[in-house]
This record gives sequence, C-alpha cells and structure tokens, in this order.
Amino acid sequence: MNTRLSKMAEDSDLMRNEDDLCLEDAEDVVVENGFGEEPNFSDPEDYIDDITDDELVGDLLKNKPKETDGFESVIVVDGIPQVGQERQEKLEKVIHKIYSKFGKIITEHYPKDENLKTKGYVFLEYSCPAHALEAVKMTNGYKLDKQHTFSVNLLTDFDKYENVCDDLEPPTPQPYVDHGNLWYWLEDPDCYDQYSVIYEGGAMSAVFLNSHPEPTPLRTRERWTESILVWSPLGTYLATFHQRGLALWGGEDFRQIMKFQHSRIQFIDFSPKENYLVTFSPEPDNRDDQQEIIIWDVRTGLKKRAFHADHLNEPTVWPMFKWSPNDKYFARMTQETLSIYETPSFGLLDKKSLKVAGMRNFSWSPSDNIIAYWVAEDKDVPARVTLIEIPSRRELRAKNLFNVADCKMHWQKCGDYLCVKVDRYSKSKKEKSEWKYSGLYYNFEIFHMREKQIPVDSVEIKEYITAFAWEPVGSKFAVIHGETPHISVSFYGIKGGGISFLKKFERKQFNHLFWSPNGQFIVLAGLRTMNGSLEFVDTSDFTVMAQSDHFMATDVEWDPTGRYVSSGVSHWAHKVDNGYWLWTFQGKIIRRHPMDGFCQMLWRPRPLTLLSEEKIKEIKKNLKKYSAQFEIKDRMSLSKASKELVEKRKKVMEDFRSYRERKREEFIKLKTQRLELRDGVDTDELDSHLENLEEETVEFFVKEELKVIEE
Amino acid sequence: MKPLLLHGHERAITQIKYNREGDLLFSCAKDHTPNVWFSLNGERLGTFNGHNGAVWGIDVNWDSTRVITGAADNTCRIWDLETGTEITTISTENAVRSCGFSYSGKQIMYTTDKSMGFESSVYVFDLEAGKQLLGEDSLMKAQSSGNKITSAIWGPLDEYIITGHENGDLVKWDVLTGNQIQRVQEHKGTINDLQHYKDQSMFITASKDKTAKLFDTATFEHLKTYKTERPVNSAAISPIRDHVVLGGGQEAMDVTTTSARAGKFDARFFHLVFEDEFGRVKDHFGPINSVAFHPDGKSYSSGGEDGYARVHVFDPLFN
Repeated sequence: MNTRLSKMAEDSDLMRNEDDLCLEDAEDVVVENGFGEEPNFSDPEDYIDDITDDELVGDLLKNKPKETDGFESVIVVDGIPQVGQERQEKLEKVIHKIYSKFGKIITEHYPKDENLKTKGYVFLEYSCPAHALEAVKMTNGYKLDKQHTFSVNLLTDFDKYENVCDDLEPPTPQPYVDHGNLWYWLEDPDCYDQYSVIYEGGAMSAVFLNSHPEPTPLRTRERWTESILVWSPLGTYLATFHQRGLALWGGEDFRQIMKFQHSRIQFIDFSPKENYLVTFSPEPDNRDDQQEIIIWDVRTGLKKRAFHADHLNEPTVWPMFKWSPNDKYFARMTQETLSIYETPSFGLLDKKSLKVAGMRNFSWSPSDNIIAYWVAEDKDVPARVTLIEIPSRRELRAKNLFNVADCKMHWQKCGDYLCVKVDRYSKSKKEKSEWKYSGLYYNFEIFHMREKQIPVDSVEIKEYITAFAWEPVGSKFAVIHGETPHISVSFYGIKGGGISFLKKFERKQFNHLFWSPNGQFIVLAGLRTMNGSLEFVDTSDFTVMAQSDHFMATDVEWDPTGRYVSSGVSHWAHKVDNGYWLWTFQGKIIRRHPMDGFCQMLWRPRPLTLLSEEKIKEIKKNLKKYSAQFEIKDRMSLSKASKELVEKRKKVMEDFRSYRERKREEFIKLKTQRLELRDGVDTDELDSHLENLEEETVEFFVKEELKVIEE
Repeated sequence: MKPLLLHGHERAITQIKYNREGDLLFSCAKDHTPNVWFSLNGERLGTFNGHNGAVWGIDVNWDSTRVITGAADNTCRIWDLETGTEITTISTENAVRSCGFSYSGKQIMYTTDKSMGFESSVYVFDLEAGKQLLGEDSLMKAQSSGNKITSAIWGPLDEYIITGHENGDLVKWDVLTGNQIQRVQEHKGTINDLQHYKDQSMFITASKDKTAKLFDTATFEHLKTYKTERPVNSAAISPIRDHVVLGGGQEAMDVTTTSARAGKFDARFFHLVFEDEFGRVKDHFGPINSVAFHPDGKSYSSGGEDGYARVHVFDPLFN
C-alpha cells in the first residue's frame, strides 16, 4: 500500500472515532430516562445459561449493529483536483453535482493538509449502500479533465485491499476440453456437404448432410436459435443467438463448444480466420456493465476488448469492424477517422488513428493487408480513392475522380482486382443542405492489384446499375443494368491488361448475380419481386445451360464446392410455399423440399483447399478417369437405395393387406346386425340388392343443330 | 377423360355426395338451393327449395327416399327425394355445419356452429318417432366446449358419431349417452371433411394443416398421411383401388401471391398405402371444396369454390 492510501486509511479512522463519540452520547441518554426501581429479573449467580443468544434471539442478532455498519454507504473518490481554501467551495459544488446523481449524499469530508489545501480525495456518505455501489460502478475511471481521472472505491473495500495476501496464488489452470475433431466433416468419404436449415417459422433448426438420393438429418433441435444461424467463415462453428448471448456449436454431434455472454446480440462477425468474434448488441445488459460491441477470442471465450457504439446518433453499419484477411488487424471508421487495431494486443496500431477529412468508406483487400478508402468531393478538391499498405500506411496508389456522387468498392475474392463503382453526375444542386444529383452515369474503375504501380482501367455504363459481381476465381465480372423492362446483363473480362466486353443478355428479369465459388458458372436470378426466374450460364462460352424458375424465391446460395445451387422461399419474406430446392450447377433440379415456415438455408463453408495448384491441374487433367469411378459409385448407391425402397414398400403393402384382412373378417361377422338395421336388405355390395335395380333409359345430349326451315 | 360440367349453383359448392347406388349426385352450395343430378349424363333431376342461407351439408339415406340438408339459416331440413318437397324443418340455435343419416336411416344427426353464447353441439333425432321434430325433442345432445365441430359422420351401425374439430381433434360420441368415447389429436389444423371407406372400417380426414390422414374407424388408430402444400378441403377413398383423391387449394386471400403453375386447384391422387402422389387433375378455377368417388369407383366428382361440380370418368384403360 502506498503512503497515500495509508494516509487515507488514517483519515477514515478519524471518521470512525467521531462516530464512536456519537454512540457514547446516545448511551448516556438512555440511562437518564430510566424508570424507577425494577423487579429483579437477574438469574442467581450460580445459574449457568445453556441457551446461547443465537438460539434465543438469532433473528434479532442478525440485525445487531456492527462496527462497520454505515460504512458500506461511504465511498472514497481519489484523483480529484487539489485546491486551496478559496476554490474549495467550487470543487465541492462540482463533486456534489457529479455524485448527487446516484442518491442523497449525507456527509462529505474533504481531508486537508496543513496549508488547508485539499488532499486530492474525498469521502462521501450516501443514505444507502446501493447508491454508493452505483456511484463506484459508474464513476470509477471518470475523467474530470485531462489531468484528473477519478479512482473510486468503497470505504469497506480498504480492508479488503489491506488484507491482500502477499503470496501470489497461481490460478488453477482450466482443464483442457477436447472437442474432438472440429473438421471431421471434411473427411466425409463421399465429400457430401452440410447445410443448416431453420423452419417452422424459427421454432426448429436442423443440420443436414446433402447426401444422395435423400439428405440425412445430422442434428435437429427445437429452439436452437432465437433468430438466425450463422456459420463461421471456414465452417468450423455454427453460431446460435440467444437472449443472454451467443453459443458456438461444432464437432461430430454439434455439441456446444463455447458461450459468449452479451445480452440481446443483434449482429455478429467472425474474423476471416475464425480467431476472433465481434458481437454487437444495441442494448447490452446494464447490470453487467456491458458495452455495445465486444470482441472475443473464439478459442478461449475471453473478452478481448469492448467498444461503445454511438448507435443512437449514427446508423449502425455492420460490420462495424472490418478485418484484415489474416486476422492481424481490424479497423473501424468513425467520423473521418480510421482507427486500425492490432491483434493480439488489441491496441491501436502505432497508437494513433488515421485522420482523413471527408473519408466516406473503406475496405480491406481479401488477400493482402491493404486498405482501400475513398474521400468525397469537396468544392474544388476532387474525390479520391486511395490504397494504403498496413502497417506501414504507405500509399500504394491514389486516383482522383470528378463529379462523384457515390462510390462502392468491390474486391475480387482473390484480391487480384478492385473495382470501384463510381456514380457520377452531370448536374448537382443543393437542396436543404442535401445534394441532389441528376444525369447520373456510372464508371467502373478497375485497379489491377497484381501489376506494377497498380494501373487503373475504366468502363463507363450509362444505365442504372442494379448489381455487380466479380468472378471469384478469374478475371470476369458481370453487371445488371437498365430499368425494367430493359434490363440487361453484361459480362466483361480483363485480358492482357485491358478490359474487353464479352457478352450481353438483353431484356431479362434479373436483379441478382451469383457466381459459382470456383468461377466460370453463374446463376442470374430475379428474386422477390421478379418472381424467382433463374438462369444458369456457363461463362466460358456464354451458353445458357438452363432457364427455370422458383416462384417467389428470396434466396440463392451456391454450395462451397460449386457443385450445387439452392434456392429458397423464406418465411421471413413470403408466407406461402416456403421451402428450398436443390439444383445442379447446370440448372437441373435435384430435389424440392417444401417445408412449413422455412426461414433460412445456409451451406456449411469449407476452408481453402490444401492442394497445390499443380495437384489441382493434375486432377483436372485426369477428370475423365475420376468421373468414371464416381459414376459407378453413384449408380451403385442409387440401385441400393431403390432396392431398399422396393423392400420397404413390399413390407408396407403386406402390413396393410393383413390389416385389411382383419377388418374384412370383422365386417363379415357384423353382417346380421347390418341386415337388421336395413330391414333385411343386403346392401354390402353394389349389386347385392338386385330387386332394387331398375332399367332406365337415359338420354345423352350429343349435339345441337339449329336449322332455319323455309316457310 | 372429358368431365361433365354441372352448372346449377351460383355460388361456391360446399358439399357433394353420391347416393348408395351412385346414380344420383347431390350438391349443396352457399346459394340456398341444393341440387340433385343424374351422375351418368349430368342432367339435373331437381332442386330442394326452401333454405334462406348457405347450405353447408347434405346427405341421402341408404334407400334414396329422404334427403337431409343443414344450412346457415339455422335450420336442418328433411326432404322427400322423389318429389323434392320438404317433410320437416328442425329449427336450431345456430348455423348447421354438417348433417347425416345413420346406417339404418332411422336416425339423423347434425352439428351446429358456435356463436352467440351457444356452444358447438351435436344432435341426434329419431325419425321414426313420427311427430314433428323440434329442437328440444332430440334423442341426444352433446356440447363440444369451446372447440367448434367442423365436420361429422356417423360411425357404422348407428352406435356412434365421429366429429372433426377446429383444432384438429377427432372425437367419437356415444349416440345413446352423448358421452365422448374417444378423442385423438393427429391434425394441427381444422378438420374440413370426413369420409368413410366403402365398408366404413376406415375413414379419411381432410385438414387445413395441408394433410389428409387415414384412420381406423373402430380404434382411431392413425394409419396413413397424405401430404400436400395446400390446405386440404376434402378427401375420398376409392372403393375399388388403393387410391385416394384430395381436393383443396390455396385460400382465396393468398391466391395472387402464388404461381399460376404451382398446381393450386388440382384434384390430387395419392396411393392409399404408399402415401405417394401419382397424379393430378387440373380443372377448377378455385379451390376444390368437396370430392366424392362414385360407389362403383369408375368415376369421381369434385365441387369447387367456382360453383361448378365436375364429374370425371376414368379412362376405360385405367379401370
């Protein structure tokens, strides 16, 4: 304990003594007010009391005043300014203002030194301990100004801190919990993928194996999540949302692996390598003093750092923190400031943020530690897209742009290209402090990241742009442009440094683009309002492999291997015909799964392949050999399944036939009763009551002819 | 197979039924006039005039002499089939939802809706008593507390009545005592229709929960389930093959938000034992409210929200 603290302890002893004095006074009063002589109730001297006070008046003893009573309501605020007598009144006012928020302050005591200067701490007594506790919680670490940060403690805590044992007792290490092989699903002999489904309007969740010919349920659970399911980016964990926080599930039987307590979580975001997890709650639990944003270590479940979100004043844009591709850095933009943090220290990189006036948005390259950000136009200063390298903050490339209304950045998944979609205007007008743009046209500024000095190419499109998507592996991109009914889908490719126009599909009903994760194939989709039209295109020669539709489809998802596509009608958007359908990448329907209250279907992601590029090439070369093997296997599994089905049906049929036989016997037994009820007439078979039948001639209307007969 | 189009109703058809021999087809609708048709050529034999409200249910006795109808005008009426004249009217407290003759034809039952302080109830009358039938003269009356009866049929041999309820319950009532003998809940939604197999040893339910289910009549054992993506309004079992036909469709409020090609208003054929759908008949412009197999199994009829009843004769090859 430093001298300062011991001094404080002395001062507090002083206060205790004052209290003692008061108590003595009180005793005196009682004596004076005593009533005359009382009968003698005393026990004889040799009496031995065998009843302890605890037994006799245990309930009263509990309320017996203790020496420390009242001290729970006292707090010590350290770190307040040291002032002379002349300014003490002002100080008291300030302190009072801060601390009277938490409850009624009964006494304030400012210890002073010999010069009557305050010692820089104060004792405050509240009317009840709860207020004191609240005050400690809320103001510990309170910054009065630059020099003065309060450290606030309960007076009763001093004893606790005094009695801290000097010997460090190492915490017992948590036993290591073996969660088994979290990547077991990658070892599936048939390479089937898994997917999660929420249905019955959110009441049921399940994970299925996309096996052939029918999917296999792996785990089904009622109320697994309260809102949605989220797979981690490499597919290791499945996250479920709950009132109290978030849970991660994984391993072979989807056991719970980790819990993160953060009440009412609204959004989550995994770092790309799954090391960290960011959770956001607009209204965290006040009792636990939680903040809106918490970053967790996924493997240990420990809270790494928490942030406040000013979500009341600023619209929440998720993800608030953007991660570098290798989990090394994460960044957040707040009002023209870009703060980049480092892991695992979770401190600000180089202890300072990057201030860029007019910065509007930023994004990380998906492959390198490069940040791209853009700055809006300001009077005569043009808009600017800048690429910087992290951690050096070296500017790699900057590009000035004029007449810019808005910019959107699209990275190609391999990080080979960055496309900045620039909305440009011909005229602009300021209306009520908001800029109105007219005569909009669109530019794509393509940054060639892998080339020296990062050259930039530009493509201009006059029409309104609905969607843009890079081929994840490759150098093509697709654009949906135009207004209904003149919607077109155009494809461009980068060849030899330049951009070339490849193909245009005109007059289509699409609003979404879904590239296969392996490139080459793309699904053009008209979701929601466009009634769910789907077109499967092979972009190597732009053949339309299939045209189909899933009426009112709200979602389209590629499986992580690019073999299957799923389309779904979610209960969240549309109340009828909920369910999901599975297609091959060529647009052949495999299965339709109508499902009541189907909400969400997500494929389990796979980590990047560990195969070298040569190996992949080799496999592609020998594809014919492999495909023959697989075809045999498919056929075998099919014939096995159909054999099983035939046997199953046979059994079902036999069961039903024997049931019917039993019923027929019962029916025959009851014949006399039936005859009795129907006056002895046998009606068991249609023709068993022959005398009832009557021949009748029935006319059939064959055709009608109208003829005018001459008079 | 070209269907016969029976156009005699101005509003949605609520129920259709064949007589025992199958030469006559009865239909009732939300207009006030039930019809009777020759099932062979679709010619209308006559109408039953008198109701002042939507007619919800119709039945004919085994020897085709009497017809019973129940309507929303709070009456249940018994008609002479040969002349079409009304024999008697039973005034009820509420709209009549379903009605039927017992196996012997000597007793009738009807069920009423729940409203205005009256519980949904099932009533049984003896036709042989000879006197004017009044609501309070019922042989048996049983209340279904809080849970509306939406469909009802007689069990075999005049012993009990089976009712289907709003919440998916199936209840068996003793005709003599009015006690519930058995109660099961296999459906999650309103049971719209109940129909017997020809020997009454099994019956099929049609429910708003998008399924039809096959039950054993005596034990209420659930035997089979036929699943669709639409509410099922009616289901019938073929008397000669292992087939069932389901009629139903999107509710009117959801029609505009579904695909025209999604098979909304088809009559759907399922295999009785394997529960697989194997065929559809596209015909009506609206949901199908009632289906019925001809007793000889060679044709079936459907009545729809569009006001038409259609008689479909299966191809000879199929028979």
